[in-house]
Amino acid sequence: MKDGKASVIPELCIDCGSCLRVCPTGAIQATTRSFADLDKFRYKVAVPSPVLFGQFPMAISPAHIVAGLHCIGFDAVWDFSAELALANRALLEYVDRWKGPYPLISVYCPVIVRLVQVLYPDMVDQLIRVQLPRELAARELKRKYSEELGIDQGEIAAVYITPCQAKTISILAPAEGGKSSLDGAVGISDIYNDLLAHAQAMDEEETKKLLEGRMRSGELLRWSISGRQRRDLSRHGYMSVTGLPNVIQVLDDIEKGKLSNVEFVECHACWGGCIGGNLAVDNVYVTRGKVRRLMSQLPDHDTTLEEQVDRRYPKEDFTLKGDVKPRTVGISTAGLKDRIKRKKTEEAMIKALPGLDCGLCGAPTCETFAKDVAMGQAQKTECVFLSDKQLERLRKIYPCGEREAPEDGS
Amino acid sequence: MAEELLRRTYDLHGRDFDKAGEVATTIKRMLNDIGIDAGIVHRVVVIAFEAEMNVVMYADKGTMTLFLTDADIGLEVADEGPGIEDLEMALTEGFSTATDKMREMGFGFGMGLPNIRKNADDFSIESDVGVGTTIRTKIRLNSSA
Repeated sequence: MKDGKASVIPELCIDCGSCLRVCPTGAIQATTRSFADLDKFRYKVAVPSPVLFGQFPMAISPAHIVAGLHCIGFDAVWDFSAELALANRALLEYVDRWKGPYPLISVYCPVIVRLVQVLYPDMVDQLIRVQLPRELAARELKRKYSEELGIDQGEIAAVYITPCQAKTISILAPAEGGKSSLDGAVGISDIYNDLLAHAQAMDEEETKKLLEGRMRSGELLRWSISGRQRRDLSRHGYMSVTGLPNVIQVLDDIEKGKLSNVEFVECHACWGGCIGGNLAVDNVYVTRGKVRRLMSQLPDHDTTLEEQVDRRYPKEDFTLKGDVKPRTVGISTAGLKDRIKRKKTEEAMIKALPGLDCGLCGAPTCETFAKDVAMGQAQKTECVFLSDKQLERLRKIYPCGEREAPEDGS
Repeated sequence: MAEELLRRTYDLHGRDFDKAGEVATTIKRMLNDIGIDAGIVHRVVVIAFEAEMNVVMYADKGTMTLFLTDADIGLEVADEGPGIEDLEMALTEGFSTATDKMREMGFGFGMGLPNIRKNADDFSIESDVGVGTTIRTKIRLNSSA
């Protein structure tokens, strides 16, 4: 924060989206698509994240939500259970063939991919190189609709309905380079109110018609809950970790060799996994409860789906195009001596600061402020404890209306 | 003799399993901040962690000192503890005097010292039974062992 405005160091940003959650005025917006952007496509297909279905009151079924998506302008809605199952099978094969180093790290969460690129460059090879289910879905739906409708694949838009902004960024600029098969993403919170209104406006007759034949199994929903691979990977040393601080702790332990015997870690930056995404609407625990209830009402297996997976698996290519490389942070341009000098300045600075992490200087913690000072990106007088004038300056940037001074003795 | 640019000493506490590994993490963060190559940092972190665990598991207390020069990173770990009777055995992969309790916690598989030696470019160890053990290692900044 500088003079009341936030600034980002792009090479350090891992797209975690924490800024969206904490901004008190909601000034930070996720990069998602607007419907106007999508109008240039002739046929628009929504690919809803399974998380979407757990966001509504129980009376609003997945079928209502699908109908709602049609109402707000999508020509079709793609259930990507098959692609989830396909990608999972490809992943199991990848894990079986892998000879080390361990553990392999899942790539479902784009924040984790970027975290590893920035903080654990030595573990980049352990990121799993298997196509994401949402990408497989976009590829398949374009093939199918282009064939059925006789239109060009370029005229079909595949739009992910996303629980977080990180997935949007991974669609617009995939970490491995190349181009996503998806054409953009719309946040769940962007369309929530519209979907809710449409679902509530439906009469009983329509609802009854809808409920026939929609969502044949709980397969899709199973994937919205973190730890989804538990069942398939239990024979491997498998671990599921959610919440960025937890992920960092576990990856630190793995790097040191404190945690061994783990062959596969599924990491999600959000607490509770994707259902805790920053564009999801409902609370993560409430959502999880709803998803479980929805699942209990649906059969576990769907034989048509299994047949489809068996048929498609040998024919499809699951390899990730391009490669994920470490993302080096641009601090190493200076020589080693200068970098050490900077580190020493930083350490001396930390000692001079109160350690209260008040945030008034604009940096989130005293430690990050000390880093900024050492890098020459901040002046030490920006700390209110080190300069009397700073508080006056801040008063001008953040005006705080007339306040009654507390009366003595009251 | 290369010029010493940075030196840091950290205290280690025997049987403090609760905080075990924190010094290794502190060192990692610092070397990352300074912009040392990731592969080198990884090796230093493994050495620091294994050495730290040895002190936690067997010794009463100790210190870990990190020296950084423009040519290499030195890690010296000195402890006050039981010492090692048979150094050659201790350096054999899979040899361990860890108790079942330690193994239950996931440590003591006899890979500690061998792992340190494997990750270091220079390695030396001195031990006096009943007094303590000192390990000295060096990792060259331009090496990839």
